[in-house]
Amino acid sequence: MLRRIADHLFWMARYLERAEWRARLADVNYHLLVENPTGEPQSWAPLLAITGDGELFAEYHDAPNEAQVLDFFTFELRNPSSILSCINAARENARSLRHRLSSELWLEINTLYLDSQQWSHAVFEQGVYGFFSELRNRFHRVGGISHATLPRDIEFDFMTVGTMLERAENVSRLLDSKYHYLLPRLEDVGGTVDRMQWAAVLRSASALEAYRRVYGNQIAVEPVVEFLLFDAGFPRSARFCIDELEAALERIGRAAGGSREISDAASPMGRLAAALRAGKAGAVIGSGLHEFLMEVQDLCAGIGSIIFDKYLRFE
Amino acid sequence: MQSAAMVQSAGELGNVAPFWALYRAAHRTNLEAFDEMFDPQGRPRPGYSRVLADFLIAHADRFDEIRTRADRMFLNEGVTFNVYGDSAGAERIFPFDPIPRLIDAQTWSQLEAGLIQRVRALNAFLADVYGEGTILKEGIVPNDLIKTSPQFRRAAAGIIPPHGAYITVAGIDLVRAADGRFHVLEDNVRTPSGVSYVIKNRLVMTRLVPELIRATGARSVEHYPADLLACLCELAPSGKSRPTVALLTPGAYNSAFFEHVFLSQQMGVELVEGRDLVCVDHKLYMKTVDGLRQVDVLYRRIDDDFLDPVVFRPDSMLGVPGLTSVLRAGGAAIANAIGTGVADDKAVYAYTPAMIRYYLGEEPIIPIVETCLLRDPDARRMVLRELDRYVIKPTGASGGYGVVIGPSASDRELAQVRERIERAPADYIAQPVVQISVHPTIAGRGADGGAQIAPRHIDFRPFVLLGARPRVLPGGLTRVALREGSLIVNSSQGGGSKDTWVLSS
Amino acid sequence: MVFRVRHATHFQYQAPAYESHNEAHLRPCDDPSQLVLAFDLKVAPQGASIREFRDYFGNRVHSISIYPPHDALTIVASSLVERLPGFGGQPASMRFERYLTDDAVRTRKHCEYLTATRYVPFSDRLRKFFWMSRPRKNEDVVEYVMRTIGFIRDQFGYDTGKTDVHSSLDEILRAGGGVCQDFAHLTLGVLRLAGIPSRYVSGYLAPDPGTDTPGEQATHAWVETLLPGAGWTGFDPTNRCRTDIRHIRVAIGRDYADATPVRGVYRSAAGQNTMRVDLEVCPAPMAPSFGQSQQ
Repeated sequence: MLRRIADHLFWMARYLERAEWRARLADVNYHLLVENPTGEPQSWAPLLAITGDGELFAEYHDAPNEAQVLDFFTFELRNPSSILSCINAARENARSLRHRLSSELWLEINTLYLDSQQWSHAVFEQGVYGFFSELRNRFHRVGGISHATLPRDIEFDFMTVGTMLERAENVSRLLDSKYHYLLPRLEDVGGTVDRMQWAAVLRSASALEAYRRVYGNQIAVEPVVEFLLFDAGFPRSARFCIDELEAALERIGRAAGGSREISDAASPMGRLAAALRAGKAGAVIGSGLHEFLMEVQDLCAGIGSIIFDKYLRFE
Repeated sequence: MQSAAMVQSAGELGNVAPFWALYRAAHRTNLEAFDEMFDPQGRPRPGYSRVLADFLIAHADRFDEIRTRADRMFLNEGVTFNVYGDSAGAERIFPFDPIPRLIDAQTWSQLEAGLIQRVRALNAFLADVYGEGTILKEGIVPNDLIKTSPQFRRAAAGIIPPHGAYITVAGIDLVRAADGRFHVLEDNVRTPSGVSYVIKNRLVMTRLVPELIRATGARSVEHYPADLLACLCELAPSGKSRPTVALLTPGAYNSAFFEHVFLSQQMGVELVEGRDLVCVDHKLYMKTVDGLRQVDVLYRRIDDDFLDPVVFRPDSMLGVPGLTSVLRAGGAAIANAIGTGVADDKAVYAYTPAMIRYYLGEEPIIPIVETCLLRDPDARRMVLRELDRYVIKPTGASGGYGVVIGPSASDRELAQVRERIERAPADYIAQPVVQISVHPTIAGRGADGGAQIAPRHIDFRPFVLLGARPRVLPGGLTRVALREGSLIVNSSQGGGSKDTWVLSS
Repeated sequence: MVFRVRHATHFQYQAPAYESHNEAHLRPCDDPSQLVLAFDLKVAPQGASIREFRDYFGNRVHSISIYPPHDALTIVASSLVERLPGFGGQPASMRFERYLTDDAVRTRKHCEYLTATRYVPFSDRLRKFFWMSRPRKNEDVVEYVMRTIGFIRDQFGYDTGKTDVHSSLDEILRAGGGVCQDFAHLTLGVLRLAGIPSRYVSGYLAPDPGTDTPGEQATHAWVETLLPGAGWTGFDPTNRCRTDIRHIRVAIGRDYADATPVRGVYRSAAGQNTMRVDLEVCPAPMAPSFGQSQQ
């Protein structure tokens, strides 16, 4: 298998996952604002912080208001991680893969791309919620078509690697941002606002219903962290992502060599898998959730660069 | 067989007559052009009786549906091409006309022999001009015509391809003149394209009218990819028994990308871009997830100019740095070889009959169209005097770009081409207008709402594989000018295509 | 006369280079006027893949490829060349109008040395320049060539700062000065427009032991023209003279592009590199062991 093809598959999956995550994030954040109309303009700042777009945004705008943030976040091409930029990048990768994707998948991605080229602020006039939930559904459709039409082979594994790595990073960033930026005044911890925000975090990960099945109506820091980091069965928990990632890398390693270097106990993959399999929310919060999440993100980056060196770099 | 078909359709001749009358009425222009289906008396030519009775007449009311189904099949299969100049590589399907074009067995065997003869001579010419150059020294082909051609690649001197095979794949454009004889219009021995449409057109027709194909005895075209792969494997250095072949494409934005994908899949070889390849120790490798894998033969669909920035255009990002020296060292082979373009130059075309005589000692089986090289002052004077009677073609371009057809050109176009000729006469040739043949084609909707069938001009591109055993694909790309009266059939200029049935007997 | 040549080309890369592919015209020609007694090519880093081949013009070229990353590339060509005097006939004296009667034949046979090339385009500027130095009907062809190079050197001074290796004729004509490569190209342009087949020669000029003081040396370039009765005859526009025993031929071609000493392509994270050329050409004592057939 050509390295270029592996690279395109990896990045197509990654950009699709990133765009989807952002669509969900915007939706939830908007929702949160509507439900809790404090009117404070800085309520939007967290969105920029979670995605790391704050500095770039500040280069173009002084004080964020809803419209500017939504535009910047959704279809600003100067923002390389706006949803539109991600869709463009995903489609550009898909184009070179076209002959290897199912025609249904290509058609879905290409139609999404063509539609998104028409976006302007007017799309929000019909309702921001409607726009983002429709968009999220379209990403789900892409995912569904991938699963329904692509053979499970090394190519699919490279897509899985891209998706899962991106998702694990996003989950950890999401938790971190809540911990850091959404943390309200001390007296509010455990209060209504806090609970609502944790619910929003769960919703961002499409995890609210799944969470309730396990923990019922009780929404609090510890079980949420436990669920989003360590749950083995939920498809958007960091633990789940890492299990999938490791399995895909093992299959790739068997086909292409080099699995040992990648999932060796001392490698970033091995260390991250161990940390997530043994971890407990209480202990992690006790010794510093932020530090733990930083470690998760560093290890994800480490895995990414090993994958790049081992399989993707073609220069 | 032939007479049996005639007898069988005799009972339906009553139906042929009104069809012929309608069709002839649609013949508004070019009455003198050769009609592929009917003789001047309105009798179907050899092989066409059944197509006429079982398809054109029996299914007249279904043509719209058939054409729509065909278009949908092409779209679903992703059979598309990109048009240069369109924004960001817009994709289109090549319009398909379901009325097949037939070539009878006797005509075909002549063509087959003529095509192989021609490509063998072109190959011998390339071996000569990049070697001893005797044909130039003897003045049979002017030395300066070759040495000043931008397609003459000095880097190809000293690279002797395995078995002397400069040309592996050739596509020869033929037209049928008013007298019914096929003439060569143009040779394509660089990276000829279109063969994927030949195979896909047949696939679609097989789904639409399977019985008719069987009953007519059309020869199969599906073994082309296997034959091509066999020819490519012959080029492998030191006769490797299982060589690694790859197809080099300029990428997804190239107009023929679909074909590159199709052929690579059919041959079961890797489709690579320049950045997938690397030259190490004068051998060629592709970069795979489990390391470098050696490539023995490269079927390249990239022009010489972009092939190797060390030797050709240094700004090319599409090619493979160092490839030329790998080829010279024998570390890999490519098809077609570097520098083949000097043989399909439109000015060199004029000398092809002489080449056939010189290298093979044979008379050309397929004639060429009379050609004036405008670098010659006498010819130039003659042509410029009656510019509107000639077709003017730039020597360097292909794909129908820059062609001016005198009789249908405006005064302004004629004035422009005159100026261009006077500025750079060596860049142009002139040919008399050939009344190229016509074929019944779906031309739109008639007054009754049914499909209207009218004559449209067609040409023909058969494909020749010049391996150890030269072979011609029994079929080819019949292109049709969908606009009434138009002589330009190129896909980039609004042409369509037809399936071509070479009859087995 | 035997010369020892050491021609070192050194590239230093800002960021490591890899997948480097080069073609080098560094081996002196074997021809009736000179014999290569010994030649050696050394490349650092080690492990470079090197193949020698003969190009279209008959030059012996080395293809040098280095795959792994490297910070520097050094190519050292060492030659021992015996320069033989007295070869090549004396050009016949012929007036231009006579010379022109064979013009059509020459144009067909030697077209590549009579047409415009990448470094010698027939631009309007060149045509104007040619007009000022066009041949007279009764002028002797060899005298015309000498007059042309004299005229060029009267108009253009030797100046290393005004042009670079990629400069085209128009830049030299505009700049009013240049180096040997530029004078060669300009001479080629004028002579080709006059109908005299002319080609580019890259090589070395050995120091004149009588007048030159040892110092920095550089590669040299001159032209050869096809003259009646004499074949290809060398002229050195830079030094306003016919070539002599001190001119060592390395490569010929239509222009600089065909005879570039070292040319290549490599990949690197940063595009910048610096190049340094060290050249040493000096007379060598004739080693008896070579036993060449000098009369």
